[in-house]
Amino acid sequence: MIRIALPGLRATIQDRGRTGHAREGIPPSGPADPVAFAAALELAGCGPGDAAIEVVGLPFAFRCDDLRVVAVTGREVRVRTRGRVPGWTSVLARPGEEVVVEGTAVTRFAYVAVSGGIALPPVLGSRTTYLAAALGPLPRPLVVGDALPLGPGGLGVEGAGRSIDVPAYGGTVRAVAGPHDRRFGDETVAAFFGHAFIVLPESDRMGVRLAGPALAPPADDLLTCGIVAGAVQVPRGGAPIVLLADHQTTGGYPIIATVVSADLGIVAQSAPGEYLRFERVTPEDAIRSG
Amino acid sequence: MTVRAFGDRAFLIEIEQRIDPSIVDAARAIADTWERRGLGEAIPAYASVVVTFDPARTAWKDAADAARALAAEPPARPAPVEGRLIEVPTIYDGPDLADTAARSGLSPSELVSLHSGREYRALFLGFMPGLAYCGTVDPRIVAPRLTSPRQRVPKGTVAVATGQTLVYPVDSPGGWRLIGRTDLAVFDPSHEPAALIRAGDRLRFVPR
Repeated sequence: MIRIALPGLRATIQDRGRTGHAREGIPPSGPADPVAFAAALELAGCGPGDAAIEVVGLPFAFRCDDLRVVAVTGREVRVRTRGRVPGWTSVLARPGEEVVVEGTAVTRFAYVAVSGGIALPPVLGSRTTYLAAALGPLPRPLVVGDALPLGPGGLGVEGAGRSIDVPAYGGTVRAVAGPHDRRFGDETVAAFFGHAFIVLPESDRMGVRLAGPALAPPADDLLTCGIVAGAVQVPRGGAPIVLLADHQTTGGYPIIATVVSADLGIVAQSAPGEYLRFERVTPEDAIRSG
Repeated sequence: MTVRAFGDRAFLIEIEQRIDPSIVDAARAIADTWERRGLGEAIPAYASVVVTFDPARTAWKDAADAARALAAEPPARPAPVEGRLIEVPTIYDGPDLADTAARSGLSPSELVSLHSGREYRALFLGFMPGLAYCGTVDPRIVAPRLTSPRQRVPKGTVAVATGQTLVYPVDSPGGWRLIGRTDLAVFDPSHEPAALIRAGDRLRFVPR
């Protein structure tokens, strides 16, 4: 069992996502920062399909009943047990020992993985939490005293002390123009790729809201179409929204560009008041460079 | 049909910008074919399909070729689904009822008569779990989407926009015009399936 001592502002169980249900209107969910999430699983010795905890609003603290390897990732995160350990490093948690996850003013999403993974039964094929529709085996934020089952331990003492390089957060993300770029016209598309946008505080797991130069939307309403994470919607007001893990499966606002999948975490981890720029790439470039 | 890149792991196949049940069927047929080939998940809508793939399993060029081939030679359209008839008991007291009626040159009761006076077809599900886009609304009801979506629309709200109508299945943001509400639960994760309405079902709104 993992026992929650401090739940943060909003901590939820996530795995890599609930795919295969988009045609029932059910979004994929999963981690807002998939790169940090995957790194946490790997460091804790979990498989890529295992579940871990996503935390918004640190500090977050927990204890495990037995010896476990834990890993914390995210932007500017660190772990406190017997001493302080930087994030993105696997740590040994002794039975009953308190593990505290701390961040800084710019930390948005932290990931806490424990060897064995969170072993709740999947709902609709996934352990991911989608709070908006109360979906998942634990469809609410964690609270003090929650005790969650863990899978078989896996790593021993030798699993601790490994690290993964922290990605460069902030600044510029890569995006592919479209799919509706032609409806906006070259000038508006150039304005989108040529200016910095400021991140607004209303941003969440559904999307990051931006302010910047108003982007003139196409004259005609579009028919609703399917959506993928990274889509940059431009509602009639002209202020773009980059959609993230909890995005709607379809939407009616035109999409000027789509952030490449490897850079979604950088968007998600942008703090309110920070600037984001979009660098235009081709999809093949994005896949080649990872 | 056009095929456009949608990020680095999807394509948008657009059939045409028109709402017509036969185009909805064509979109569903393309989505079914893509998924049957095991390339990834596909999301059909009114007149387009988003087809996704995993770059770790399928090269971008191969996925692009497959999407273009589907657009060039779309699969035969399946026979329309007959679907069940679902009655939606509705209280017409939404915050946008008066405004929507006024911009349509109707009285609120005339709008209610028009909205409840025909049977709709669930075209596809999207946006939120269990949300079925239903068409088509009488063209005398003029309802463009709101300029700025509401942050929260309560579940059970009955809304119209751009010739369509729907029931919000869960509390969610929304840019449609709210004309009424129902107690009918259209999404319940404790039921299997969780979504009450399936693509192809027929809906009738019954005033209460």
